[in-house]
Amino acid sequence: MTRILLNSRLDECLGAWRSAGFSVFAPVKRAELTRFDEVQKAAEMSLDIVMPERTIKDHFFLQTEPLIKYTITKQQIDTEEMVPPERKRVFFGVRPCDASGLDIDDPLFGWDYKDDYWFKRRDNSVIVTIACAKADDFCMCTSVGLAPDTAKGSDLMLHPLKDGRGWLVVPHTDRGKALLEPVAGMLQEEAAETAPVPSIPAKFDLERVTAWLASPESFESPLWREVSQRCIGCGSCTFLCPTCHCFDIQDEGDTYSGIRRKNWDSCSFAMFTMHTSGHNPRNTQSTRWRQRIMHKFNYYRGKFGVNSCSGCGRCTRQCPVDMGITETLQEISNLPK
Amino acid sequence: MGLQEQYRKEAAELLSSGEVKLVIGYGEGTTADRRRPVFVRSAELVSRLVLDASGVANLSAYLVPEGLLSDGKKVAVFLKPDGVRSINILAAEAQLDPGQVVILGFDIEGGQPTPLPGRKASDYAPLIESLKGSGLSPELQAEADRLEQMGAAERFEYWKEQFSKCIKCYACRQVCPMCYCRRCIVDVNQPQWINTSSHTLGNFEWNIIRAFHLAGRCVACGGCDRSCPVNIPLRLINHRMAKEALDTFGHYAGESADQKPVLATFRQDDPETFIL
Amino acid sequence: MSEPFEPKIVAFVCTYCTYAGADLAGTSRMKYAPNVRIVRLPCTGRISPMFILKALQKGADGVLVSGCHPGDCHFAQGNYHARRRWTVFRALLAFTGIPEERVKFSWVSAAEGAKFTELINGITDSIRALGPFEQYQELQKVIETQSTY
Repeated sequence: MTRILLNSRLDECLGAWRSAGFSVFAPVKRAELTRFDEVQKAAEMSLDIVMPERTIKDHFFLQTEPLIKYTITKQQIDTEEMVPPERKRVFFGVRPCDASGLDIDDPLFGWDYKDDYWFKRRDNSVIVTIACAKADDFCMCTSVGLAPDTAKGSDLMLHPLKDGRGWLVVPHTDRGKALLEPVAGMLQEEAAETAPVPSIPAKFDLERVTAWLASPESFESPLWREVSQRCIGCGSCTFLCPTCHCFDIQDEGDTYSGIRRKNWDSCSFAMFTMHTSGHNPRNTQSTRWRQRIMHKFNYYRGKFGVNSCSGCGRCTRQCPVDMGITETLQEISNLPK
Repeated sequence: MGLQEQYRKEAAELLSSGEVKLVIGYGEGTTADRRRPVFVRSAELVSRLVLDASGVANLSAYLVPEGLLSDGKKVAVFLKPDGVRSINILAAEAQLDPGQVVILGFDIEGGQPTPLPGRKASDYAPLIESLKGSGLSPELQAEADRLEQMGAAERFEYWKEQFSKCIKCYACRQVCPMCYCRRCIVDVNQPQWINTSSHTLGNFEWNIIRAFHLAGRCVACGGCDRSCPVNIPLRLINHRMAKEALDTFGHYAGESADQKPVLATFRQDDPETFIL
Repeated sequence: MSEPFEPKIVAFVCTYCTYAGADLAGTSRMKYAPNVRIVRLPCTGRISPMFILKALQKGADGVLVSGCHPGDCHFAQGNYHARRRWTVFRALLAFTGIPEERVKFSWVSAAEGAKFTELINGITDSIRALGPFEQYQELQKVIETQSTY
């Protein structure tokens, strides 16, 4: 016997979670954009989509985050730390690739220094993933060793039922189990068949790719210029990526007072590596694109044992010039041996 | 022979005769309805060029990066009339020599690419003249009218919501042929005029300043709008600026290569009804 | 009881005409509202629209930009160029919902101390009546507080 959550009882569940002190976030379409935002009712959610345009990373690693307030006087400098609140949140209807993205980034934010801004939010959030019922031409989770129903990063996973009445409920962590307690009465025990997950053919041979990237000659390969010729150097692929995590520290204010902020930054930007002297070690778009690929599939993997890509495909789907990780990795994968 | 075949053939001739060193066009994209910019340097590769109704991007932005035209050699590029206007503006602003640009012109009518015979930007003067004042699509015009009818406070809320979505990826800037500054004002930090953080205030300032910098220069190719990953209707704001330039100063951006930029010139009798 | 609202107004003026006009108002012992903070620049041609945005960002409720009458520019053409820019920038502000009542433009010559006085008093009164520019200032307040999650 398995536990089922019916669509018709979702509102009750949301109510129960709210009563238990959680704020519920789900994909919603507002002002022509689908992103995770707080919801009150199930009817607000956009669940019948391949994926929201923006990832849940936005809610853990903020695009702009105040760190400290400062005031400078003749005698002294006063600072006030701005710590994120510990707010209990449920993220409902997360895609498995987005959930995996959080899991992939955890070691980075906790490696030598535990980033409170990330972990306070992680520790107070429960990720409720829904296994994918559909995919599009850009999806590539299967190419990076994941799947449309991968449980990586999920506390609780919902598998859509074949008859469309609701979801099969599978907790994967203690946090997921605990989230089921307030809604136990709203689930029902029955045997039910789940909908098949979409089949997504692998687009490249990841092992070949990572082996090629790891070889020292690849760094100066003409391939980098070839694949990045049309790159315009915007940051949309990095900012929409569920795993990209680079940031810049900026003091915003004036000589006497202001706020130190942590802002998203992107390796696609020429300014990213610009030195004060004016020298730029990555002074062409191809060197910047190489960095992005190398970081994801070589350096990150070397340091944390995992590729920094969950295969959501947003980098290609949203690219103004139809570039992206998939194409580059395909090119590498297809190189003659 | 379809236009695609005709232009492949012409591209091959241009390349093999040495007339141009490069052809910038559209190629197959990831999906059937997507086209991506392609760069063809030899006649053998012209089969990579695709021309159909999905070729909407204004490719003129690829001509500006430093070094491409500095050898004096020519480049051929697929351009619609909006792209030709971009070439004129870039020439007027001394960013390129229009003599180095061979235009493989086309327009899209009834879902089909139709040829435009001009190979030089100056050949397009009568066509551009006839397009003068052509506006937004009916849907966008309806949205613009709706905005104009709002009170200031309501309009502010509209843009606040739109700009709150901005992530400062700068796709709008990077894709724009007019945004060729080596150091964009938003990247200037001494002094820091515009907040670089992408909170709503910083986004507001950024989008206002970009629209101002495009006033009388935007050719309404729609590149920023299409590129915006968070779907901000940037075209509306840029169109409003173009309308102001046309209505007040009779300036239609990109009419010719020697047109003076609207904000770098003046007439002594420019209207000034609002000045106290 | 809360204090009655007094608007903060920033005036960007050129040094040759409007600043001299303001000076004349002062030396002539004319009184004008103390709500205005004057920023002196070489020419209206030097007044970038970013100054106006910066003033609003820093909490101004109103902005005045003022310079020499057409034909009187010390640099011959600066104010003509500025006039075009203002025309376009005004349309942009209006389209993005920044009320035109809050951003004013004027010509004040070095001889027009009285005009300057009237102008400042008039603008101060009208912006006092409009109240603080809360919609814009709210954006600044938000970034000074910690995110809610």
